[in-house]
Amino acid sequence: MRELLLEVLGWLGYLERPTVLLQLGVAIGLMVLRLFAARRNWLPRLRTQRYTPLALVVLAASCLLLALLGLPYGLSGQLGVLWLGWYGLNQLQPLLQRCLGAKTAQQLDSRLLRPGYLLLAALLLITTVDSISDLAVAPLGSVLGVPIDAGRLFNAALITYLVLVGSGPPAAGVAWLMQRALATSDGSRKALELMLRYAVVGLGLVAVGVHLGLNTTALIAVAGGLSVGLGFGIKEVFSNFISGLWLLFEGSVRPGEVLMVDGDPCEVRKLGLRATLLWRDRDNAELLIPNQTFFTEAATTYTASDRMRRSQVSIGAAYHHNPAEVITLLEATALEVARVLPQPAPKALLLNYGDSAINYCLRFWIANPMDNVGICSEVNQAIWRAFRDSSIEIPFPQHVEYSMQWPPERHHTNEFT
Amino acid sequence: MPHPRAPSQATRRVASRCVPVLASLLLLGCRASDGLPNVMYLGMEVNPDEKIDANLRTDTRQRLGQLEDGYRQLHPNTRFQVSLYPEKQLAWVIQHRNRAGLGPDLLLLNGDTAVRLLKAGVIAPYPQTGVDLNQFGPQVLNRLRTPSGDLAGLPFLVQTQLACFNRRRLPAAPATLEQLLDTSAKGYPVGLTMEAYNLFWTVGSLGAVDAIDTAAAGRQPSGAQQQAIERWLTWLQNANSQQRVTFYASQSSAEAEFQAGRLDWFPCRSASIPRLRKALGDGLGVAPLPRGEGGDPSPINKLRVLALGTNTSHSSRERALAFSRFSVNPLSQRSLTLDSQVVLPANRFVGVPVSSSAVLSAMVTSAQQGHQTNTLAELMHSNDPRMAEIQTLLTTLVFGEMQPTTAGQSLVAILRNRP
Repeated sequence: MRELLLEVLGWLGYLERPTVLLQLGVAIGLMVLRLFAARRNWLPRLRTQRYTPLALVVLAASCLLLALLGLPYGLSGQLGVLWLGWYGLNQLQPLLQRCLGAKTAQQLDSRLLRPGYLLLAALLLITTVDSISDLAVAPLGSVLGVPIDAGRLFNAALITYLVLVGSGPPAAGVAWLMQRALATSDGSRKALELMLRYAVVGLGLVAVGVHLGLNTTALIAVAGGLSVGLGFGIKEVFSNFISGLWLLFEGSVRPGEVLMVDGDPCEVRKLGLRATLLWRDRDNAELLIPNQTFFTEAATTYTASDRMRRSQVSIGAAYHHNPAEVITLLEATALEVARVLPQPAPKALLLNYGDSAINYCLRFWIANPMDNVGICSEVNQAIWRAFRDSSIEIPFPQHVEYSMQWPPERHHTNEFT
Repeated sequence: MPHPRAPSQATRRVASRCVPVLASLLLLGCRASDGLPNVMYLGMEVNPDEKIDANLRTDTRQRLGQLEDGYRQLHPNTRFQVSLYPEKQLAWVIQHRNRAGLGPDLLLLNGDTAVRLLKAGVIAPYPQTGVDLNQFGPQVLNRLRTPSGDLAGLPFLVQTQLACFNRRRLPAAPATLEQLLDTSAKGYPVGLTMEAYNLFWTVGSLGAVDAIDTAAAGRQPSGAQQQAIERWLTWLQNANSQQRVTFYASQSSAEAEFQAGRLDWFPCRSASIPRLRKALGDGLGVAPLPRGEGGDPSPINKLRVLALGTNTSHSSRERALAFSRFSVNPLSQRSLTLDSQVVLPANRFVGVPVSSSAVLSAMVTSAQQGHQTNTLAELMHSNDPRMAEIQTLLTTLVFGEMQPTTAGQSLVAILRNRP
């Protein structure tokens, strides 16, 4: 490590050369100048977005001048090209947003394009001051008895990053193809995508270990030690991870499923390594629930075998209406509501004789469990209209009040007229 | 006018963390040699038969380290920053670095590469005043001069081609080509490389050096010379028909086979001896290449030279010159030779104690035999486009796709077609 650090610090020796200072002065000076000029609006006639192209033109002219004078210009030129590339990335962002959507474009930009560009820029600059292939074999130390050099470590870090960040789109693509081929549900596709991603990440990490030449026996020993640590320290994290994997394989909690959480139907949005993200329609809240919860506690789902839900509304009708007529009317009313499924057919039942009304319930099936509350409202409204049209009374609860006399011998019951 | 924005809290926090780290790094750098060091950037050409890996990096720095330590006694506070470049990339990379004003101060190159780079303006001519050029042979210096008389670099050391063998299996190295084929017939695997540059030693053993020189100079060889070329090509074809003789596509693959114990004899480069010794230990035997009925072998030995970069500062140029002069003084050359045992001094007044080491003795023999190829080395450098054509021709011949007579005529035609 010390050797590499000394080598990197040795690059400072180039500052002894006047031509290097001149080039750095031109390039960095223009960058700083552009920053100040844009902030203080030194050129009011020019829009702020035009400052960078203008500075780049000035930098190109400076390089040309240096070349004409027979002086080195490569460093300032290279910095200029890198600056131009960065400016191009900024210009690319709106186009990406239009093509891919804001969220995907932002993720692509911040996770892949910009880090990739910065890495490329760093490698280009290093090539200008030193030999990359020589630096790559600079020793850094050893891990588990295996000597690690800068190149191996860099490759390992790069592969790990790419596997973590870049495994998403290919996994999604393969899952989509599998869905097309096997005609599976969206939930299965998302589960397959996650499983593929975990598999790629797992294989990638193993490949990194192999690339580094780590001793498998030593790795097993470390894993043994870690298992003790896992048992005491981060068992919750590990338990959530394993629960997540199990749930994926089992297929009970997949993205797109609808689960009842605290009496509210919630849709599973994402099954993460530690927690599951659910969306609650009632208040548009997103709930992060540890995977372990679904693994150890009972959960109600409406989407395990199909997505249909049987819903029900309750209603009371006055005693003087024929229950058979009421039941027929209720069933017919339910069928009139667009989002109530005709099959299985709605079913109305007389539940009991209440204090002031005969209580009925109307049971019907809906296609999307998340729409339950809205459809119930529509059905209730339809019943109200149907009862009004058929002159069926929904009675109010009735209470009879009378005053007590004291002593009780003086008390008389109410008299009906 | 809007007020300039004050740096955000996050920026200040990042700055407050970075400044101590940077300061520590700088202090670490300064601690290396008690104060700000004078850095000398040294670029080094790595031959195609060598691979840039941790071993080469360590070996190179170790070998140069001894020289650097000596130089630091005279010029303390000098730090050497060495960069290794493969031969194929060297010209482009140095040109790229020069354009940025970040070229190395000093380069350690093969002699022919130095001449080529000087002609291309990638390196600066070595000043012929202030250094005693009488220390080097006139023929050696001539190889390093451009047509305009500029000197491409200062001869530094010589890397030779030798015969390496596995002592544990083969008691003694074959001294003649006949013995070499006999050895293979007795069941000892022998390896040769298809690279023309590394195969050229057989030309001398079969007496075809003059013929090749004549053709490379653009002249038609005489009948006897043509026959010598055909004799050489016939031997190569016959050698490949031997069961235990294998031709490898590259020197590095032959070396890997030798290290793995699947070869008992192969022509090696002196620079690879440390690697081979690590693999074989005391089992490594080193000897001169076998002679033949045509005379001594004609190995192409590599003359390494110290060349100057083009865009160094005045003080860096002075340091580079001082270091190069220091490197060729007899004391440095002698200790470099004796300590490393893999190179010979370029300074002709430095005596090599051949009786003390079989390796040094073999290297001296090889260096003497290599004088035969001086003319060819002047006429054709390793990057000459004719080399690739010769390579293809030899491959076709060795695998029996072409008769030696036809191949001989084609070879002469290729050699005479000077770029």
